[in-house]
Amino acid sequence: MLEIKNLHARIAEGREILKGIDLVVGAGEVHAIMGPNGSGKSTLAGVLAGRPGYVVSEGSILYEGRDLTPLTPDERARAGIFLAFQYPVEIPGVNNMYFLRAALNAVRRERGEADLDAGQFLKAVRAKLKLLEIEDDLLKRGVNVGFSGGEKKRNEIFQMAMLEPKLALLDETDSGLDIDALRVVAGGINKLRSPERAIVLITHYQRLLDYVEPDRIHVLSDGRFVMSGDKSLAAELEKHGYAMLGTAA
Amino acid sequence: MTILAKPGTAPYLAAFRARAAEAEPQWLSEQRDAALARFAALGFPTRREEAWRFTNLRPLESVTFPPAREGAALAPEQAAPWRLAGPAHRLVLVAGRFAPELSEIGPLPEGAWLAPTARTLAERPDLARQAFDETDTSGGQAFTALNAALFADGFVLALEEGVALDRPVEIIHYGQAEAPASLHTRSAVLLGARSRATLVESFAGEGPYWTNAVAVLRLGPQSELRHLRLQDEGADAIHLAAIRATLGRAAQYRSFTLTVGARLSRYDAFVRLDGDKAQCNLDGAYLLRGEREATTATFVDHVAPGGVTRELFKGVVGDRAHGVFLGRIAVRPDAQKSDALQLNRNLLLSPRAAVDTKPELEILADDVKCSHGATVGDLDEAALFYLRARGIPEEEARGMLIEGFVVDALERIEDRAMREHFARHLGRWLAREHR
Repeated sequence: MLEIKNLHARIAEGREILKGIDLVVGAGEVHAIMGPNGSGKSTLAGVLAGRPGYVVSEGSILYEGRDLTPLTPDERARAGIFLAFQYPVEIPGVNNMYFLRAALNAVRRERGEADLDAGQFLKAVRAKLKLLEIEDDLLKRGVNVGFSGGEKKRNEIFQMAMLEPKLALLDETDSGLDIDALRVVAGGINKLRSPERAIVLITHYQRLLDYVEPDRIHVLSDGRFVMSGDKSLAAELEKHGYAMLGTAA
Repeated sequence: MTILAKPGTAPYLAAFRARAAEAEPQWLSEQRDAALARFAALGFPTRREEAWRFTNLRPLESVTFPPAREGAALAPEQAAPWRLAGPAHRLVLVAGRFAPELSEIGPLPEGAWLAPTARTLAERPDLARQAFDETDTSGGQAFTALNAALFADGFVLALEEGVALDRPVEIIHYGQAEAPASLHTRSAVLLGARSRATLVESFAGEGPYWTNAVAVLRLGPQSELRHLRLQDEGADAIHLAAIRATLGRAAQYRSFTLTVGARLSRYDAFVRLDGDKAQCNLDGAYLLRGEREATTATFVDHVAPGGVTRELFKGVVGDRAHGVFLGRIAVRPDAQKSDALQLNRNLLLSPRAAVDTKPELEILADDVKCSHGATVGDLDEAALFYLRARGIPEEEARGMLIEGFVVDALERIEDRAMREHFARHLGRWLAREHR
């Protein structure tokens, strides 16, 4: 599904942040990328989603066997890549439902499916709302406008549930959530696990991994993976903290 | 008569003299003569005048626009995109003159008058006379004066005390010219106490014409006028429009203006809160692309106590277009307890687009609540990326953000059908379907 080789990326006209990343994620797998602040986790998510402001200076990213780098952010999304934002953006004046329907129909068109009419759309929305315990009236507001931190994160997973991506990148989706919200969000993510879908969880803390069990964990430090392993790695990190990277790296 | 004429006015003075002698009442001829002399003495405004500092009148001055001699023919379908979907008292002016075949004024209730200005002059001179009020001294008098001298037609809507029109009054000003021509229309809305009307004016057309439209609005005590304007003039047109509104005690004037057309346009709205507790809502949006230039100049004058003004104008300016907002609110010494809020927000879509915004408060009373604000910004790149990261193509995402930026002004239109009418024109602009 995703094959990253020797990826180097820098901020446009700035310093290098990713310094040679190798990563292979297969369909049906859940990978967790952990690491301290400033290690490059969010940059990696941004580069994969096509966030403007980054330059890939070396290496390659293959998604379903094709080069991802020339694709625009919206082409990537329509090809099945989904980024759950660490900081979902508030967009006043753009209605949540209107936005979501535009997104869903753009993705559906790409898959060769017909647009959903208002009735079908509403039905699909209702089903997924329950899953994430989101109140109906949140959807009548502007995109993320007036949402609490937890509501924003739930809304990200709700959008993911609606768009049914093949590759989901979850950037610190657990940050800022209380334990109840974390359970709801994790439940939503687990429901979306499927043999056809790959999920990459980017997180600073281990606690999300207590609820969403990863197949592989990679530890990022200063733009490189310094450790990879199975889920037991998370517990080790929890015990020793990222300070242990000093000796490992 | 010897008059000292400013440069550039000569062709218009000549055109005035060449007018066919029409059978007009004495008072009107005198008004026209006086107005022409005023125009000759004032000349075209220059950029040295503060109110015209940001407006480039070259397109108007470099070409002479003789007054159109007669109305033009128009196929009904040409005016169709601007027509309201629902029922209305419709009056269409083509090239500045009443077009009966396109109009459908329909039955009016007792005490209501709606007719072209020319006919009103003949049949109800008492009403028509009120359309000439040159007593104010706000900006743009030169064009108002020229209008008074040269106008051929327009519309007059008059409601007697307590009369309410259920259907909107729809005025379509369709400009049409093969060679440069000026279209001067003089109109009036005269509302008796507690009367109520909705007025929708649309300006559209094609060819190198200059619209110079003046309307006098008089709102009696506790009367209500909803005034919706769409300026969607042809790409080669010049549009100058002025309204002069006076609000009586507890009268309500709610207006919304959408500006998308004309190469050069200016809307001068002068609203005087004459009676206690009058309310003025002055909202709108200007959406400009290409090399268009549009000025929105508003002056709300709180003369009496307890007046309320709410003003919101949103500007979206792309390519090399230029948007100008001049918003002046004055609170006179007697206008205690005035409450005025003015906001102008602009979105620049390109590095070569420009906006000049100048909010101005002049407060001479001490017990008032007034505030104003103006902003100019770019499209939010983070929001754009967010929408695109969900699969929405860039052009569509930009459109959504622009629409989202303008929507709160649009939501000031209370009536749902009207709001949808204007939303449709906003959509046409976003889809680049308008001319």
